[in-house]
Amino acid sequence: MGEQRIGTRQEWQAARDELANLEAEHAKLGQKATEQRRELPWVAVEKEYEFDTEDGKKTLAELFDGRSQLLAYNIMFGPDYELGACPGCTSLGDGLDGGLVHLNHRDVTLICFSRAPIDRLIAYKERMGWQFPYVSTYNTEFPFDFGLALREEQAQQIPEIKKMIDNPPEWLQDWGRQIGAELKDGLREGPGWIAFARENGTVYHTYTVMAPDPFVAPYFNFLLDRTPKPQPDEPRTFRKDEYPD
Amino acid sequence: MGVMADHRIGTQEEWQAKRDELLTQEKELTRRGDELGRKRRELPWVPVEKDYRFETDEGAKTLADLFDGRSQLLVYHFMFGPPYEAGCPVCSSIADTLDPQVVHLKARDTNLLLASRAPLEKLLAFRERMGWGIDWVSTVGGEFNRDVGFLHTEEELKPFLQGEIPPTVEQNARMCGTDAAGYVTEGPGLSVYALSDGTVYRTYVATARALEPAMAYYGLLDRTPQGRDESATEPLWIRRHDEY
Repeated sequence: MGEQRIGTRQEWQAARDELANLEAEHAKLGQKATEQRRELPWVAVEKEYEFDTEDGKKTLAELFDGRSQLLAYNIMFGPDYELGACPGCTSLGDGLDGGLVHLNHRDVTLICFSRAPIDRLIAYKERMGWQFPYVSTYNTEFPFDFGLALREEQAQQIPEIKKMIDNPPEWLQDWGRQIGAELKDGLREGPGWIAFARENGTVYHTYTVMAPDPFVAPYFNFLLDRTPKPQPDEPRTFRKDEYPD
Repeated sequence: MGVMADHRIGTQEEWQAKRDELLTQEKELTRRGDELGRKRRELPWVPVEKDYRFETDEGAKTLADLFDGRSQLLVYHFMFGPPYEAGCPVCSSIADTLDPQVVHLKARDTNLLLASRAPLEKLLAFRERMGWGIDWVSTVGGEFNRDVGFLHTEEELKPFLQGEIPPTVEQNARMCGTDAAGYVTEGPGLSVYALSDGTVYRTYVATARALEPAMAYYGLLDRTPQGRDESATEPLWIRRHDEY
């Protein structure tokens, strides 16, 4: 804080104008990426999946709930998590309900997936006060087929993950305690977004984006990116009902 | 809607190849975004010398009071002018997502609230209708908004109002119970402050395109096959969440 430069309104405005050009460039680049995203070929989903939902068993096509697009966030909440979902994913989840009704009116059904059994998802959803549909991929091949989770042997073969499991930094140890799972299990879930389209009775996979893309982050990061002070390098994340003060 | 945008059907391998290309773009976007974050923090802080006053549900407050014990303050300038009968629908859709962020921001030394020019009773009644818990303050006079460029004079608006009014502006004005002039007198935006040794500094202000990330649903729509699917000639699709 000591090095913070204090300036006049004029100095600020000059620096702000310069920054505005960069922000505009960034927005343009973002638009280009969006266009490129829309050019991805659609890949027909040929396998049949059956998911446990709050309303019983459903197929992938049924998850669209009558709309033609399905956008899902995969919350890290594996079957071995004893204490609930990843706090970071939970914070992201807190921001989803605000967009739910708006997206539903744009022909998009917004849901979340997790791999823990449905009764635990329902209880967690109730605890967090969420509205979006929460779907369990428990006992399905779906999360493995779409790169949303790793099988035990797969996780062992990824050097970055193996390193984190064998030699976890302190924040990761804390995270493991928050979810109530060993890291070898906890780190098998992949945080990310996945999109599908449905046309003439066929479901197509269109897009996936996984962490560390900044889109896979709670909404408040966008706001904190605009605050004067930097956040700590390894910030701890808490569920909204577990902040320590 | 109904007819999907042109698209190609492909194999998993074709998808993966294109996805890898896109990933390069997305990584570049991330890198530049990080750089922007750093540059934002290099903006000089400007001491706020005016003694702004606000009406809040806990009585009159100064700008320093609004930090609520934190050292950073984010103000979303919500378009709700004195002649409005209800808040701007687009600002309302933004507030839908801002509302649940407050608890997380407070734990990060940051307060977030809404500020508008309409009288406090109108703001609080609308907040109740929308089911939000976020603090909402009424600015006393127009200077707080004016000083960051979110309040426009008749003179400034003249060229805009004499031209062809975009259908979205007409629609939003109608939905707010005012006319185009009344509607666009208010501007949407984000202003950011730091409190240090008893002095309040203005550090960042954003509006227009720079504010777009506030609309969480746009980020989400940008990941769907159909996208935003908006046209320049049709009024905007956004409604208040209880008015679809």
